[in-house]
This record gives sequence, C-alpha cells and structure tokens, in this order.
Amino acid sequence: MRLGIDVGGTHTDAVLLNGSEIVGFHKALTSSDVKQGIIDSLDAVLVAGQVDTAEIDAVMIGTTQFTNAVIQRCDLSPTALIRASLPMGSGVPPLCDWPEDALAAVGDHQYMIQGGHLYNGKPIAELDHKSLNRAIADISSKGIKAVAVAASFSPAVAEHELLMAKAVRHRIADATVTLSHEIGRLGLLERENAAVLNAALVDLARHVVNSMERALIERGINCPVYISQNDGTLMAAATIARYPALTFSSGPTNSIRGAALLSGLSDAIVVDIGGTTADIGVLADGFPRESNSHIEVGGVRTNFRMPDILPIGLGGGSLVALNGRKIGPSSVGYCLSTEGLVFGGNTLTATDIAVANGSCKLGDGVHVAHLQAEVIETATQRMHEMIDEAVDRMRPSEKPVPVILVGGGAILISRSLKTASQLIQPDHADVANALGAAIALVGGEVEHFVSYSAITRDEALTQVTQQAQQKAIAAGADAETLRVLDVEETVISYMDDAAARLRIKVVGDLRQTA
Amino acid sequence: MKQLGAEHIRDLCAGAAFLATGGGGDPYVSMLLAERLLARHGPATLIAPDQVPDDFLVVSIGMVGAPTVTLEQLPTEDEAINALNRYEELTGRSVDAVVPFEVGGGNSTIPLFVAAMKGIPCIDGDGMGRALPEAQMMTFPIYGAHPTPAVIADAFGHTELLECTDVHEFERLIRGKAVTMGGMISSAEHGMSGKSLRRSAVPKTISFATRLGALLCQHGGTIEAIMTQLTRLFEDSEYGLIKLLFTGKVIDTERRIVGGYDIGSATLQSLDNPACRMELMIRNEYLVAKVNQKVVASVPDLICIVEQETSRPLNAERMRYGQRLSVFGIGCTHHYRTPQALALTEPRAFGFDFDYVPLEEL
Repeated sequence: MRLGIDVGGTHTDAVLLNGSEIVGFHKALTSSDVKQGIIDSLDAVLVAGQVDTAEIDAVMIGTTQFTNAVIQRCDLSPTALIRASLPMGSGVPPLCDWPEDALAAVGDHQYMIQGGHLYNGKPIAELDHKSLNRAIADISSKGIKAVAVAASFSPAVAEHELLMAKAVRHRIADATVTLSHEIGRLGLLERENAAVLNAALVDLARHVVNSMERALIERGINCPVYISQNDGTLMAAATIARYPALTFSSGPTNSIRGAALLSGLSDAIVVDIGGTTADIGVLADGFPRESNSHIEVGGVRTNFRMPDILPIGLGGGSLVALNGRKIGPSSVGYCLSTEGLVFGGNTLTATDIAVANGSCKLGDGVHVAHLQAEVIETATQRMHEMIDEAVDRMRPSEKPVPVILVGGGAILISRSLKTASQLIQPDHADVANALGAAIALVGGEVEHFVSYSAITRDEALTQVTQQAQQKAIAAGADAETLRVLDVEETVISYMDDAAARLRIKVVGDLRQTA
Repeated sequence: MKQLGAEHIRDLCAGAAFLATGGGGDPYVSMLLAERLLARHGPATLIAPDQVPDDFLVVSIGMVGAPTVTLEQLPTEDEAINALNRYEELTGRSVDAVVPFEVGGGNSTIPLFVAAMKGIPCIDGDGMGRALPEAQMMTFPIYGAHPTPAVIADAFGHTELLECTDVHEFERLIRGKAVTMGGMISSAEHGMSGKSLRRSAVPKTISFATRLGALLCQHGGTIEAIMTQLTRLFEDSEYGLIKLLFTGKVIDTERRIVGGYDIGSATLQSLDNPACRMELMIRNEYLVAKVNQKVVASVPDLICIVEQETSRPLNAERMRYGQRLSVFGIGCTHHYRTPQALALTEPRAFGFDFDYVPLEEL
C-alpha cells in the first residue's frame, strides 16, 4: 500500500492507496510544525483507512514549501554566486534581471571571475584562482554559507565548477555549495538563477526533509520515502535535501496527475484552486503539458522543464473588495479557518461568498446573512469570470474543453463556465495533490554526447533510451510500464559536423512489492 | 526623429523575435545588455531612412556567429563599440549613424546602444526586414553597398580589419573568423552614404517591431484573439501580407550543424486532424514550410512561429516535442522580390530544389 502526502502552503493532505483504489484520505490545515502536521495526517489517514503502518510499502511526499519560500521571499538563506565566464559576460552580470524583492531576500552577493569554457570545450580563460580566493574570502567574511557556482558551458565541461566548489568547501567548511550543472541545463543566466535559488533553499530543505523523516520514524514507518519532482517522477528524500529546486513545480504536476486518475480523463484543463491561488494546467495524454519557454519561479527566470501552469490570484482565502468587483490576489491563506466570516472572523473571503450564494456549507452561514445580494452576485460572477479567462488562455483551441476542478477551493465554482464543455468535480478532488504524489512515477534520465557521423540518429536514440530504461528499472520502475517522457536534442558544437547532446527521460510505475 | 530608450527594449525584442523567423538567437541576452546600456547612456535617437542626409556615413553593426553559443558565452559591454571605434580609427572617417544588419533577433538592439554610447543616431530600418543567415543576403550589398572595410571585434579585446573584393568572399571570411574567435564576434561593416542607405534599407522596421512587440506582450493570450490587430499592423507596414498557415503540435525535431549552420527540420501535427502535418526546414531560420508535402511558404517570405497559447515568438533552438505552435507566413519586403535579390535568397540559394512562389500566390 502506498501513502501519498501533500504538504501545501495551506493544507496537508494524505491519501492511502491500494493499487489505484483510495482506501483512506485526510485533509488538514498545514501547521507551522511540518513534522507534527505530517504525524497528524498520518494518524488520521491510518484510522480512516483502518490500516496498520506495517502495510505501507512506500511513502511519497509532494511539497510546495520550497516554491512558496521563493514566492514569499521567506526562509531563503543569504546566498553568494560565483560565475566563471570573464572576459565574457561582463555586459550581463549575474542576477541582473531579478525582481528587487527577490534580490533583497538572497542578497546581491555576486562575483565574476575569469574562467568557464567555450562551445568547443576549450577554456575561455584559465580559472582565476586568485580572484576566486578573494571572492571566497569576501563570502566568508560576510558569514554566507549558501554558495552557488556557475561557469560557461558547464553542462558540457564541469571542470571549473568542480574546482570552484572544492575551493569553497575547503575555505568555508560548513558551506553548502550548489553546482549549476547539477540542476540546470544550457543557458547560463537561467542555470545560475536556478543554482542560486537552490542554494538559498538548502537550509530549509534539510530541515523539512528531516522533519518528514522523523515524523515517519516516530510512527514506525521504515519503508522508502520519496519526494516528487517537477516532472512527476520520484526522488529519494535525501536527494531533495540537496536539490530542493527540483521540486518547484511538483505541486501542480501532482494535482494534474491526480485529477487524471480521479476523472478518468486524459485530456482536459485542470483547475486546482487552493487557499491563495488557482493553478490552471493542461492535461494532455495523461500528463501535464510542459511549458514551452522559460519558467519564472517567484519572478526569477529559470530553465527547468515544468508543467505549463497559469497561476491566478483566486483561492478560498482570497479577499473580496470593492463590493465584490475585486477578488484577490491578497488572501488570508491558512488563516481562513479563523479569519473568514463564516468561521467567526472579520475578513470577507471568497469562501464566505461561496457559502452566502449557497454553493457550499461551511462554518456558520449566520455570519454572512448580512451580505447584500448584489455583492454576493457580483463576487460570484467575478470568480467565475476569472476562472473562465484563465481556462481560455490555456485551452489548446477555441473549442470548449472538459474542465476538472480540484483542490480545497473548488467549492468557489458552482456555475457553468463558458469555456468548459463539461465541468467535473470528482470525488476526493480536494486531495488530488496527495493522490498525484502517491501515483508518481519513477524516472530514469540519461544524457550523452553522440556523433551522428559515427552512429545513425535512430541508433543513438535507441541506445540512449535503453540506458535510460535501465536506470529507471534500477531506481525501482516496473519494466512493463516504461515509456519515453522526453527527448531533448541539443547541438553544442559546430566543430564536429554532426555532434549533438541527447537527453532522454523514461518513466514507469513504481514496481509493486509483493 | 524618435527616441528609443531602455523602456522600449522589451517590446522591441518581442517584435524582433517574431520577425527573426526562428533565427537571430534568443534576444533575451541582448535585451538585457541593451536595457543596461541604454539606461546608462540615455535613449537612442532613431532616424527614418528618408530623413538621412545624402552625405551621411552610415555603418551597419551587429554580431556574427552561432546564436546558440551566446546562451553560455554572454556578451561583454564594449565589444560592439570597440568594433565601431576601431572602424573610425582604421578608416580615418567618422561615422554619422549606425544601422542594424537585421531587425530579426538580438541584432536589432546592438546599434541602438552603440548609437547611444557614441552619441550618434540609429537608423529606423535594417538590412533584411527579418533575419537571414548570410551577409550577401542583406539588402545593403544587394543594392550596391560594399561590405568592407569592415572591423571585427571579439570578447577578448581583439580587433581586426577585413578587406574583400566581394560580399561572398566577405561572408566566408567573417564566418571563419567567428568560429576561430570564440563563436561570436561583433562587426562594423557596409559603410555607405545616406543616399545608398535610402535605396537599400528596409524602412521603419525598428519602430514597427516595437509596435508589434507591444501588441504581443500586452496580449499574452492565444494568438487567435489578436489576429485582427496583427493583420492590420502588417497590412499597414512594409510587409503587407500575413497568413496563419498552421496550428499544431511539434511531434519531431532534428537538428545538426553543417558547415557552421544549424540545419534541421521539425514536424508539426495539426491539433484538429492528426493526419495533417506541417514540415519545417530550418537553417538557422525557418526557411520552408510544407503542409502534407506541399510548400505553403518559403524564403525570402517570412515564416514566423509563436506559441499558440501565449503568442510568444519561438526561436528554432527552443523548438521541442509537444509544443503547440501557430505558424505564420508573412510577405517579405519588395527589396527581395527582384530577380537579382531572389537569386541570393530564394529556396534554391539554400539548396532546395524548387522555385520561389510568392506567398500571396500560394
């Protein structure tokens, strides 16, 4: 049996899954103490499912905590970046396109030194150890422990990043170093941005993963623990403690995959309404449609491959203003259960409107009885318009599409949408994220430089795919269920007429243990 | 005369990316560079070709090389201005205005900040009205300007004077220099009189690209929603015709480098009819588009591609499996419709075995 847990900004949900059958679920507000929140959900779901801890074969955790930390600019460590690219790159320094508040959160500690490589694998310049040591001394004197290192063409030649990381670790014993080539792809600016975000999150990640593991140990659960990544595949929890940035978009991925399972559809628009935002994504052939372009995380440009998600500021806790004409983007968030009118609070929220218009029963309706019918109607229409506009921007064509509503805030939508051919609110829709985590897949990724003058493209594709398959099987995938999720072909050199970098990702279901 | 400052650069780059027909590199990096330098050195003064005095010395300036490399080998602040300053030193002539090679892609921004740094105007126009891979395909040499003397500069501070008897030789020489000097260099070239510029430049393309970019950026939604405005914008411009050729999903891409060029192809599958496919032939730019084997657009007409859901222009390097794209055909400037210009820019000039048929006749 599998246990899926989703630790979101507002709710912590748990789902127990036997095959694809839900045997228990629980939804609770996220507590500031992650460990206690997990223990509470765990206890509740085990009781609900009448299941013993010994029956759990694997735990899959999805979390949006790292994304939220970036968006809210909180719990980010002061972070330094050393880029080796000079004399190239002086015109476009690191962090130059960051939003001011994001930059303030990590501090503008950036250093450019000579080094890095050219497209042909030759050094731009020898790595400037003198400047490197000066940068490290400065970082050390500022007391900064989180350090990202980046060098031109490091995905092809990692040498200078490895040297820089070694020097940083040598001079700052307790530094946590993120090497850009380990988490990002070609595109120096985006890769170094991702590395800085990752480095800034490592402290938080260690704390969070540690809390998760302690919670499970406290309840005597000793099975493998996985955390879901951006692409909907699983990674060992210990790995995520070092690479938290790889979870940035796992929330929407899990919700879309969960919605697919719940609705039985493989092509639809998924609207996941939470406490503060609604995330609109596209389900295509059972998987999230991936974004075509650069993904901004909290306004910072990165080059992760992530599901194409349109977030809008509408959630259960969104503030209602201007007599219902303006909803969000401000929200009471996880304080909904105390701040919302129906819960005896003093703030008019989107949830209060949903109670007042009769689309759901929550809290005490007496507290919204005084609202003017006109305000209720205006706000109700506005919420539907907001979702309609967002679906319209995401749908593949002008044709109406099935819309699956999931998430705790799905109660806000009670009427038909112009853009929707049908509106589906599946059972258990409020725990789609945890469900998506529970059904997450195991992936294997292999990247190789190939020369099409030595081997045909088809042969190269076959070989690299086979290696990726072996890797996925080794990571615990069921060989019968393997399929290619992604093929990326990048040409990096024009010295050799037919050289390409081939990256193939295959995924499969987690092998069932007997 | 108009002023174009840092605040216009994002719009210009969005428009330039659209007109780049898939090539010209990702303008993001040159956008950041231009924003920083224009913010520091003040806005650039734009001057329309028909306002340029006969005796002006206008020099074309931009970057030459493999666009992919600039994703990793980011530009320096002074490479382009070094090329221009050295041009003046070596030729002993002072330059009155600069003009972009091509409005398509990152090369649209370089003369703007060079002009601002130098305190001279930048021409509101360019030598292609789009992006194309080789120097002899520029309207400047086609209508009589000589490419050299030219001065090239690299990121390491090296400069070099190039002198050639014809533009084909110049193209071979400068391409080789780009490869040996780090993959990307800046070049100040095609010095010409104001009179020669008026005959050859594709006019008003910088201000057009800025308006086009503003439309795309402000909208941000599905491309279908702005077809009316888009059509009107193009009809009132040097281009005239815009046609939506195809909307579909990328199902295969293949790319390789041959002789320094990014050669490839991509296959799109229609969203409505899976049997209906578009094939795109790419050589740095999108050169030929076929639907079910029939040519629907080809060089020198423009094939411009946007992400269908967001209206964002898509660079050929970023084309990946699963993307949903809208493909447009756009009529090229009249400068390319003469037999002499077509000989250098038609499909046969790129090795395809068929004749050019103007977009409006396809």
